[in-house]
Amino acid sequence: MKAKIQVVICECCTEMPQLLDIEKLREIASSEEYVASTVTVDRACDGKELQGIVADALEHETDRAVVLACHKKDISPSLMKAFRRAGINEFLVEIVNIREEALLPHREEPDRAQRKGEAMLRAAIRRSSMLSPLEKSTETMRTSNVVVIGAGVSGKAAAEAAHKKGVHTVIIEKSGKTLKAPGVILPNSKLVGAKGYSGNFILRIQAGEKLEDLECAAIVIATGGGWTQLKGPLAKAVRDALPLYRFYEQVKTGTPPKGPVVIVDTPDPSGKTLKVQDYAWDDSLETAIELKKKHPLTDIYVVFQEMRAFGLSELAYKEAADLGVIFIRYDKSTAPKVDPKDPTRIAVKDFAHAELLGIRFGTLVFASIPANPDNQTIADALRIPMTADGGIRRGSIQRWPVTTPRPGIFVCGSAMFPKSRAAATLEGEAAGAMAADYVKKGKIEYGGSVAQVTQEKCSACLTCVRTCPYEAPFIGTASKAEIRVQLCQGCGMCVGICPSKAIELLNYTDDEITEESRVLLGGDF
Amino acid sequence: MAERRPKVVGFCCEKHAMDAAVLSARSGKKYDASVRIVKVPCSGRVDGIHVLKALEDGADAVFVMGCLEKNCYYDTGSIEGRKRVNYVKSMLEEAGVEKERVEMFNASSTNAWAFPEAVTKMVDVAKRLGPLGKGGEEQ
Repeated sequence: MKAKIQVVICECCTEMPQLLDIEKLREIASSEEYVASTVTVDRACDGKELQGIVADALEHETDRAVVLACHKKDISPSLMKAFRRAGINEFLVEIVNIREEALLPHREEPDRAQRKGEAMLRAAIRRSSMLSPLEKSTETMRTSNVVVIGAGVSGKAAAEAAHKKGVHTVIIEKSGKTLKAPGVILPNSKLVGAKGYSGNFILRIQAGEKLEDLECAAIVIATGGGWTQLKGPLAKAVRDALPLYRFYEQVKTGTPPKGPVVIVDTPDPSGKTLKVQDYAWDDSLETAIELKKKHPLTDIYVVFQEMRAFGLSELAYKEAADLGVIFIRYDKSTAPKVDPKDPTRIAVKDFAHAELLGIRFGTLVFASIPANPDNQTIADALRIPMTADGGIRRGSIQRWPVTTPRPGIFVCGSAMFPKSRAAATLEGEAAGAMAADYVKKGKIEYGGSVAQVTQEKCSACLTCVRTCPYEAPFIGTASKAEIRVQLCQGCGMCVGICPSKAIELLNYTDDEITEESRVLLGGDF
Repeated sequence: MAERRPKVVGFCCEKHAMDAAVLSARSGKKYDASVRIVKVPCSGRVDGIHVLKALEDGADAVFVMGCLEKNCYYDTGSIEGRKRVNYVKSMLEEAGVEKERVEMFNASSTNAWAFPEAVTKMVDVAKRLGPLGKGGEEQ
């Protein structure tokens, strides 16, 4: 079948015509092969204009589209909906970001921008004519469980938020601690492995001595920080030093501290690389204020290299200073030291006054929250990436702050990097609600632009199996590679590395990529 | 035409690299118009053949841009991309072509200057080395 392309040119509220010759673009579009119609709209993000596009597409019976507009992520949802109404496959819509790739960066050279835009249009039409329609498949979720790993502050909040939305939750807790939370709580258990894919996970859980399989649809990782680890020269010198969370519990119960209190950010202040975990977080301020209010006569020193107190927590500085907490900032080159022979005196050089101070203390507290060592096992089992600091990595700080790159797996609280209790609670609520929403869809979507193996070409060399970060390729019964479509994220790493060229990424085939660059190189600008 | 303009092809991953390019445009950064952006889902998708074909089709310099290696959307994608680029470089060296013509860059989506910097660098390389294959043919 011959491709019939509809070219949509978005004028972006008259911004486009000021610099680009829209008529020329229209001419070029109509002169190209395969183009059935050309539409100019005032703005493609407007609902009324989209109706016109749909009507035009139906009239000319087009089966694919090239849209000259702005960034794909900004316009695509409404536009895709419109094209779906017109019966156009969403994978056959090619969006050309002419605004941010030609117009804005080259506004001082309108002539070159115009010719660049023309070449981009030609390349997009050429590419569009080569695309093939793809379908997404759906599968029903077998269960509607949400598994929360960790029963800390954020884990509890996540379970409650998911429960509010009417989803069954299972909390896996490493220790034997009891808590009030909705759903089932499995104490003394941990995640050791996982099978399946987003929406239909089968988790292998070690509960005491037994190994159990647990089916679930979504997972919330709320492991928190690795509280018990105290490594470093300061922890070695001062044997009875406390991590902040335990000290906070002491303060809460009202036990008076022995002697002056020094809160140092990390037990390893001269560590080679400063990790996020080593910063002092607003918890230190909170604890200091609480302590000062309960025991006004106790001297409190907060010794830190970098303090992270976000938003309104900034006010806690002032409050703490007013109450008489003493802040000392140090530089890494002159890290605080404790002589092991005299473990009640800390020597620290104040960065601001360049003065060496000796502080006698009764209690030494470390504010750092090291990464949880369990994160490694969990990340390996669920195949999700980690940060360099040993935390679970989120998808994107701007777009998906509590989502991992794998759909259906959410992360919250100090599992990513240290957080205050308030932030951990909020994130837990968000992650729990998102997990519940994900589960309530009831079915999973997969497919689309995924890898595909031409089995005749495959030599079963295992290269793709080793390369894929998601374990999507495997060697099937025919001794040839196959792709688990549900796991494939469509990155195309296996495609680039396959020595036999047996794998193809649909709609990003070698031909389509080389053809696009060839047409773009043909333009003179 | 008085002066031949260089032709640079940039294979950009659709995740962080394209976001960086868009952000640079939105924050008013300018860069040379000679760059041709080809979108790929991940820098690991880039194959040696794409780079070599681009050079054959008239590009003076080619660069691949992916996510930061520690923060790649697809976990190990940009590391794979760098491996691929290094492989192409070694091939070019064997063929007697300047290996500076091909380069790998990493960008974070919040980094507005990474993309213009990469473009400027590659356009400089293209201008300095001139059209591909000239030196070899004259010998």
